[in-house]
Amino acid sequence: MKSKQSITVALAGNANVGKSAIFNQLTGLNQIIGNWPGKTVERAEGKLHFGGYTIKVLDLPGIYSMSTFSMEEIVARDYIAIERPDIIVNIVDASALERNLYFTIQLLELQLPVVMALNQIDFAAKRGIEIDVDSLSKILEIPVVPTIAITGVGIKELLSTVIDVVEGKIESSATKVQYGKEIEENLERLEYTVKERLPQLSARYPARWIATKLLERDEDIAHKVRESEGGAEVLAFADEIINRIEKVHGEPSSIVIASERYGTASRIAREVTRIISPPRVTFEDRLSAVTAHRVLGYPILAAVVATMFSIIFVAGDFLVSVLESLFEEMLVPIASTLLSQVLPPTFVEVIAGGFLSGIGAGLAIVLPYIVPFYILLAILEDSGYLPRAAFLMDNLMHKIGLHGKAFIPLLLGYGCNVPACVGCRIMETDRERFLAGFVAVLIPCAARTVVILGLVGRYVGLHIALALYLFDLVLVFALGRLAYRVLPGEPVGLIMEMPPYRMPSLLVVMKKTWVRTKDFIYIAFPLIIVGSIILQFLMSSGLIWPIAESMSPLMSGWLGLPNLSGIPLIFGVLRKELTLILLAELAGTTNFEQVLTSVQMIVFALVTMIYIPCIATVAALAREFGWKRAVGVSVVDISLALIIGGVAYRVISFMV
Amino acid sequence: MSTDPQLLELLELIKTSGIQSKPIRAVDLAVKLGCSKNNVEKLLETALKEGLIKYVDDVFRLTDMGQMEVQKHREHYIHDKHVHKPGFLGRITRFVEGSIEDRRSHWRHRHGLDENSLRGFYMNIRDLEGRVEETSSLIDLRQGEKGVVAFALGGHGLVRRLAEMGLTPGTEVTVLRSAPFRGPIEISVRGVSLALGRGVASKVFVKRTNREAN
Repeated sequence: MKSKQSITVALAGNANVGKSAIFNQLTGLNQIIGNWPGKTVERAEGKLHFGGYTIKVLDLPGIYSMSTFSMEEIVARDYIAIERPDIIVNIVDASALERNLYFTIQLLELQLPVVMALNQIDFAAKRGIEIDVDSLSKILEIPVVPTIAITGVGIKELLSTVIDVVEGKIESSATKVQYGKEIEENLERLEYTVKERLPQLSARYPARWIATKLLERDEDIAHKVRESEGGAEVLAFADEIINRIEKVHGEPSSIVIASERYGTASRIAREVTRIISPPRVTFEDRLSAVTAHRVLGYPILAAVVATMFSIIFVAGDFLVSVLESLFEEMLVPIASTLLSQVLPPTFVEVIAGGFLSGIGAGLAIVLPYIVPFYILLAILEDSGYLPRAAFLMDNLMHKIGLHGKAFIPLLLGYGCNVPACVGCRIMETDRERFLAGFVAVLIPCAARTVVILGLVGRYVGLHIALALYLFDLVLVFALGRLAYRVLPGEPVGLIMEMPPYRMPSLLVVMKKTWVRTKDFIYIAFPLIIVGSIILQFLMSSGLIWPIAESMSPLMSGWLGLPNLSGIPLIFGVLRKELTLILLAELAGTTNFEQVLTSVQMIVFALVTMIYIPCIATVAALAREFGWKRAVGVSVVDISLALIIGGVAYRVISFMV
Repeated sequence: MSTDPQLLELLELIKTSGIQSKPIRAVDLAVKLGCSKNNVEKLLETALKEGLIKYVDDVFRLTDMGQMEVQKHREHYIHDKHVHKPGFLGRITRFVEGSIEDRRSHWRHRHGLDENSLRGFYMNIRDLEGRVEETSSLIDLRQGEKGVVAFALGGHGLVRRLAEMGLTPGTEVTVLRSAPFRGPIEISVRGVSLALGRGVASKVFVKRTNREAN
């Protein structure tokens, strides 16, 4: 008897159906989060053992349909169509059955065994909806398991059903969905032609599926057909059929097919759904109405954002002081004493001051702000509030050529620019993603806030610090508009599902936070550490002074700053709040009034705020958009900071 | 050139009866147009004389020319009333465009429609039931109003995306709320709430099913 057989299970479903909750229930902490090869789409994979099998679970990105619109959808469909997992678990939201069945029908067209997890049955019941699981299973000819992912109800049954299907104890025949007679006849003819003429392509994808995609004028598949031998004839034949369908139906063929699928979905949904109590206005509905209200929505949004940042700064401040004293006063001195026994002093400085301080900087400064931020973000995400915020901000975002969803990465930017860059993935097209990333890195993150408040806010006045924030917003809008004009391509409008409000699960929130923090550490830490070592080396070897000297015309001549402030600005590339710490060290005092005038403080804070985001952000930009664009953004931001700094110096001096 | 609105309405009514294959008599036309039988007869006479309709097997039908006339009217209506915003700016841009010689190339170059979506649009207005004046853009619906999707006008990608989100022709939608300052609107379709940006929503054409708001 074989004891270690393995099965690959792919989880597929619409967005907001509790897919990640099911994934977490299945795999626990035993998961690997990475990217799909060559794509910046998250790929989550996990393993578990059940019933003598090793089950590999793959979480496909949440998708609306199987047509190529966003990268997520291409990734998911190519995975299913080409790599062909042993079985697909289709997660369906029981409270929006019709809409979810549209996707199920498309999954069935890919002709793989499918098990349906009918999720959130508790939520559906609360809305007075009861679903006849047996007849749903009978109609679709696939097993259906009711689940409540958040509490883990039905997960065991789901797993044993998966194994039963793989072992052949239960049928999951994945029958083809029949279209209307007219479409069906044409589809079969095209399917036959595809099978006949394109044997290679139809070995990779089901022929009927290719035929359906051709009738929908799917560009990705049409391209694949064109590339194959004999593809031109198939395309010509498909065009002929499309014309015939369009003539009969008076509608573009893709719409005809979508309509038919929805027709089927709605027929099935009606057949298996029973409304046991009349729909009443639930608490969630009321919450939704208030938070997206045209007047009340905005103060609520402001309150949510303000609360979020207060919590982050209070929690962050506390953690920073604890961790920093631990590192700077305990670990680094102890390590350097130990190392100086065996190594020459220069090396000790490089290792202790560079390597250890680098780790310290990452752990003690960045994480205390980022971890609370991620926790709150996950809560906001899972509760369903973010789409409401995007809804309210859509209009404003359009001013910079983006739509409401871009509000989310911009909001992330106030915490840290690194997750903001990653957050740009929610945008649909490459152009929008880059545009959002470009403006997001101009948002003053927590570290820049430390500089603005610590220098300008403390010594010049809080109102001037607020004015700097306001100026930054103006800059974001101006640059966003400019980039929107310069970048080629059409803006995309907002089409976004507004999921119902739900109570977030603590477990899922903690897991999300952990996975994201890990991801952040992977990107940011190597760079922070390497950068710290290089700078420490420059400092120890004395090479830093000629560099500072060479910067003096720029510093004193153009920006009107003291010469020594060039060095903090260089170090600030690692982490922006270092500029302030180093300035204090070089000046030999933390009372900045003794070394800088008010005008100089404003200029210093302004330059710090605008010039390239820290090195970790540059790395995140490079990962999301490629090195060329990352360098481009850096160059633009540095030039901008210098130009604005110089102009501000002259304007403010003139005014004062 | 037929610009008489009553005559156009008559043609629209005859067209709808043709699509529904329900023959329509002069009396029905009079009721629907809200004018006397005499007037209707006069209108029918003009239409017959101009070759816009024909009378076969006791049924009025549109001739090819009549079809074209209706099609042209519908195209003009959608273009002038909906594609250009109703405000002052819309009127100005419409004025600047002047009279348009080649409609197809105008749609393509000025309004960014590709050949595919243009074909879809012509098919959509050809098969539209009822008068074109009864269709309105989704943004014209007030909170709580319901409508049935007639068609979407836009690039192939957008139209298909909308269909996949459930906005296929014939689907009932309810406007739940709209964001201020000409922001997006939230609609309910097939049991799901969907937020549509103003630009997107203005490209979805619906027929109102209840005129009473709330």
